[in-house]
Amino acid sequence: MDQPSAEDDQRGLPTGYQQRPHRMNSRFKATLVLRGLVVLFVGLAAAFLLNLWGRPAPLHPIPLVDPAFLDTATVRRSYADLVRAKEDLSDFDCYACHEKNKPPVLRYDEHQNLLIPREHSDIVMGHGQHGRNNNCFNCHNETNLELLQTRDGRQVKFADSSQLCGSCHGPTYEDWEVGAHGRISGYWNRSRGPIKRQDCVNCHNPHAPPFPSRPPAPGPHLLHELAEAPVPAATAH
Amino acid sequence: MDRRSFLRTSAVLASGLAALAASLSPLRKLDDYVSLERFVQKYYKELTPEEMKQVLKRIENEVERQYGIRPHVRDLKPMDGVEYVYALNLTRCIGCRKCVHACVQENNLSRTPEIQYIRVLKMPHGSLDVEKGEHNYAPESVPEKGFFYMPVQCQQCKNPPCVKVCPVHATWQETDGITVVDYDWCIGCRYCEAACPYWARRFNFTQPSIPKERINPDMAYLGNRPRRQGVMEKCHFCIQRTRVGRYPACLEVCPAGARKFGNILDPNSEVSYILRTKRVFIQLKEELGTSPRFFYYFDT
Amino acid sequence: MTRALRDYLVFLRRCGRIAFVGDWRYYLWMGVLTVFCLLGLNAYAKQLVNGLITTGMSDQVSWGVYIANFTFLVGVAAAAVMMVIPVYIYDNEELHDLVIFGELLAVAAILMCLAFVTVDLGRPDRFWHLIPGLGQLNFPASMLSWDVIVLNGYLLLNVHICGYLLYCRYRDMKPSQWFYIPFVFVAIGWAVSIHTVTAFLYVGLGGRPFWNSSIVGPRFIASAFTAGPALIILALQIIRRVTEYHITDRALLTLRGIVQVSMLINVFLLVNEVFKEFYTGNSVASSQYLYVGLHGYHALVPWIWTAITFNLVAMFLLVLPLSRSLKWLNLTCVLCIVGIWIEKGMGLVIPGFIPTPLGQIVEYRPSLNETLICVGIWAFGLLSYTVFLRMSVPILQGRLAKTNESLPDPGMDGAPASLAAKP
Repeated sequence: MDQPSAEDDQRGLPTGYQQRPHRMNSRFKATLVLRGLVVLFVGLAAAFLLNLWGRPAPLHPIPLVDPAFLDTATVRRSYADLVRAKEDLSDFDCYACHEKNKPPVLRYDEHQNLLIPREHSDIVMGHGQHGRNNNCFNCHNETNLELLQTRDGRQVKFADSSQLCGSCHGPTYEDWEVGAHGRISGYWNRSRGPIKRQDCVNCHNPHAPPFPSRPPAPGPHLLHELAEAPVPAATAH
Repeated sequence: MDRRSFLRTSAVLASGLAALAASLSPLRKLDDYVSLERFVQKYYKELTPEEMKQVLKRIENEVERQYGIRPHVRDLKPMDGVEYVYALNLTRCIGCRKCVHACVQENNLSRTPEIQYIRVLKMPHGSLDVEKGEHNYAPESVPEKGFFYMPVQCQQCKNPPCVKVCPVHATWQETDGITVVDYDWCIGCRYCEAACPYWARRFNFTQPSIPKERINPDMAYLGNRPRRQGVMEKCHFCIQRTRVGRYPACLEVCPAGARKFGNILDPNSEVSYILRTKRVFIQLKEELGTSPRFFYYFDT
Repeated sequence: MTRALRDYLVFLRRCGRIAFVGDWRYYLWMGVLTVFCLLGLNAYAKQLVNGLITTGMSDQVSWGVYIANFTFLVGVAAAAVMMVIPVYIYDNEELHDLVIFGELLAVAAILMCLAFVTVDLGRPDRFWHLIPGLGQLNFPASMLSWDVIVLNGYLLLNVHICGYLLYCRYRDMKPSQWFYIPFVFVAIGWAVSIHTVTAFLYVGLGGRPFWNSSIVGPRFIASAFTAGPALIILALQIIRRVTEYHITDRALLTLRGIVQVSMLINVFLLVNEVFKEFYTGNSVASSQYLYVGLHGYHALVPWIWTAITFNLVAMFLLVLPLSRSLKWLNLTCVLCIVGIWIEKGMGLVIPGFIPTPLGQIVEYRPSLNETLICVGIWAFGLLSYTVFLRMSVPILQGRLAKTNESLPDPGMDGAPASLAAKP
């Protein structure tokens, strides 16, 4: 584009227009504006191609959750499970240490608390309140340690321990039988496949039944915090 | 028009068009939209069985190309005489969030950015007001004294507000009570997300990312097949599991056995038993009239 | 028949051409708007590629400034009818020709609305799912499907009315009553409906108590009939200044009357809402967040109090005779527009999401990219409105007419008769 001149102006005029002094000035300004726009557009095009702004901040990856949190295994393993898995059952071999036909003697301290022998120091007595179960033989059969016994004297095998629990915890046992208490897995639709129920002792320690506490899995992350700072690796505790 | 003004006009036009073309230059990277097959794909309910077969094959190919794993994608239909109900025992839940992550794993949810269908609230004893809930609790161990934990996910309402508001029928309630999303039909307006009183719906704000080694290859069309950028998704009671008779993933992973699921039309199911025998059960925000199929209850 | 078609095509061509000529101020204005449009387009291209993560929205706050601007602009579009009513129902002669300017503003506003909704979509490539017959429009259950219908219908109605009246003026013939008066009356009802339907979009969500209140609809209408005519007053003043088109003071003051009454009603409804929320002490958490802050989060508090202050000051200015002076009227209109823009945008849409239905508080701040898209759409709207005016003003003045078809168009070749040649 070349400089506008008075001559040009006259040539460009359509017929029927009177030339007025301010017109030239206005036309000069129009040219100036249009040139400015050309420069602006070209600059803008360059800026767009160079992607100068508005580039999305890269997202800091969230560490994958520890597979331990995806594990469907139970908290504990029952005697029946160990038998099924053909694992070491030496813990249940009572007469490896105890003498047959000689019921063990329980000893108490001055507050009537059961004194747990060193060999059984892993046992925490915490079943029920007010020391109600301060007696091994409420559940274990003192004459045959490889059996359990209910309060009314029924003999129960270790593999059937849930029946023993049910002898006191009736309503819970009822819930458990229909699958309303405790863990289940498999098929809700029994015609498609079996349901697997867990034994009481798969979740509850019979000596201290309250369900154990555990570390929680990592909490949620906000969408926009990922662009700002790296997410610290979650500890699996 | 004289020569000079013609030049002037064309200079402005040319530079303007150049700027226009340059402004659209980011679209070079737009590969998600280009497939014509996907663009013209029909609505789920209008696909013939033959077309569905084709679509399933196409999806399997796409997943394989993207993740290097050959999935098995099925179109599972609801079973007759089945209506699913979920019951969650608030006395048992310990707030360990294992359900959250099992769900992520089962349903191929995006890891970064994070999409999770289940949100667990830590609630002070004595109140069911969600506004008192804490979302980001991270103690050494759970449960904590004085609190209970309330996991919230899609409540599979009988009267779902999300279905009502969707302008294109991209989300609907199936005969077994599960509200599903056609990920290939959703336009991404997020009206359902605004409508849901349980904050149960999630939007793909960008292309989801799932590490290859964590892909679950057992997929369903209305369930856990990978989603794309710009569409909604939500909990579907693990359609790929429940519609073949299995329990959902969140239930099986729960260490405390707090989650119960089954067919409410079957009087012998666990959920029928629970709703029959437990004195109090709660439908969250019952006053809204959404009539959830997700019940919370307490027992001893 | 072919002759009529030829005439119409010549009309369109001349209108098209005139949009590209003007004086240096016109070029500057259009050039700057084009630059902003391009910036917005570029930002939108980035959003298409990367997804809505480029915005400040999240699963917690899933609608942001796009829907906020959409809501405000539906009100502006609806308010064009406030000029139509005096003209066609009360035969107000002062406003007669100005109705066209109002309706053109409505057209521009609807175009912006459609643009704002489109950029908010996660999958704009699937827009055809909304087309009845081709897709699956969920009508009548979804309020959004109603909105699609009423907005597009309103656009067509206004394009028809404006287009027909302007073409008649161009041909210098008397418009046939049957060809536009019925549409005018339909448009009046329709205008109220577009804003009511948009209000129902929010009111219909039972899970969001902040929106699920019957006062939202009336407040929408009141605020729309304040901000819309206020915007028209400003537009008319600009038209009066940069063109030779004659607009009387009385016409502006008639519009002032409309703004005055609407603002009083608007503030009255606001007082109702604030009273209900805070007197009984069981206010909705979102209202607390908006007006006073919640649990240490209070990003919106300064905004809403600014809006309320603007509304109150504007209300006092409007009831005082002071605002009969055009300078003060301009200030008042600006206060109304900004106040209501904040109130209907940031003040209505965002707090509905905070806290979430599960009680989580995540604040929202628009991103740069999102802001650029908004600016781009506003620039596009202003560009459209400018072009509409550039075409319609010479037609209404009789300088662009069929009779002078053979003469060079006014304003050709940098001699913008209509824009700059003010004596």
